[in-house]
Amino acid sequence: MTADTLDPLIHVPARLQIMATLAALPTGDALSFTRLQDMIGLTPGNLITHLRKLEDASYISTEKTGNGPASRTSVALTYQGRSALDAYKEALRGLLNGL
Amino acid sequence: MNGTRDINEIKGEEGGGLDPRAAARLLEQTTREAHRRFSMASPALAVLGAATVLVALGAVWLSVRQQHPYKGPTAVGLLVMYGILACWIAIVVVFRRRAISGLSGRSVRQERAFGVAVLVALVGVSVFQGVLKHDGVSLGIVYGVYPLTAQLIVLGVLGATVAAAREEWPRFGVGIAIALVATASAFAGPRGVWLSDGIGCCVVGLGYAAAQAWLNRASASA
Repeated sequence: MTADTLDPLIHVPARLQIMATLAALPTGDALSFTRLQDMIGLTPGNLITHLRKLEDASYISTEKTGNGPASRTSVALTYQGRSALDAYKEALRGLLNGL
Repeated sequence: MNGTRDINEIKGEEGGGLDPRAAARLLEQTTREAHRRFSMASPALAVLGAATVLVALGAVWLSVRQQHPYKGPTAVGLLVMYGILACWIAIVVVFRRRAISGLSGRSVRQERAFGVAVLVALVGVSVFQGVLKHDGVSLGIVYGVYPLTAQLIVLGVLGATVAAAREEWPRFGVGIAIALVATASAFAGPRGVWLSDGIGCCVVGLGYAAAQAWLNRASASA
């Protein structure tokens, strides 16, 4: 087994942190963009870039509520995203056991 | 976690240089940190709760232990109890608000619904207390055994039900233990019930704190 078996979309420090943080929430819960940014420690622009990539793969879903300064963006892990992270963990375990 | 980082700051940002061991470490650290920050309970908070309930109910017990016949808690005893409980509730609210800040969805809705259920239960117990007094039931029951026993059984069973639905077994154990302590304490009579419940709930709180600390350590070393 090689590192190529790891999902390249998740096997990036920032996106791995985003996925792991969202996976710590119970199914059906979402996290605000600002709290996620606070927890991960990325700049807003950087976080948006990574979130867009994960959303394009349907690993996360985002929802914007409200308008103007009161608007709020929530981010949640999708069922597909949770399965992808589980598969990533499994592949990682396999790799580490083989080392 | 360590301040904001720029887009090119992390080596291997697109994964090329990310070693599987480093990935596993990062995954484990991030998961543990996220669980810690989303957690609405902590061993320290449980220890504080255990001490609070012992001091609050102990204060009332000190105010009623010499009463013959039993007339109910004195104004000073009640003031001390409600003051201590109010401080404790304020600390819990601040802690929980911090934990659920930025969260939305199912568990937040569940928390709110649980809060409404607790409020309705406590109002119901208090109204029924008024009915007992109106019907001439003894002061030992109206201002002693009934309010404490009924409130703790209701709160314990409600908490255990919610915990069972979420499969949070330590919290389920706490709810059941509180209901059992309250039931057994009813036999201690109107004076003894305050001390018995105070000591019983304190022991349950300390046990919960120990269980949480043990679980935290186990998950950290896993």
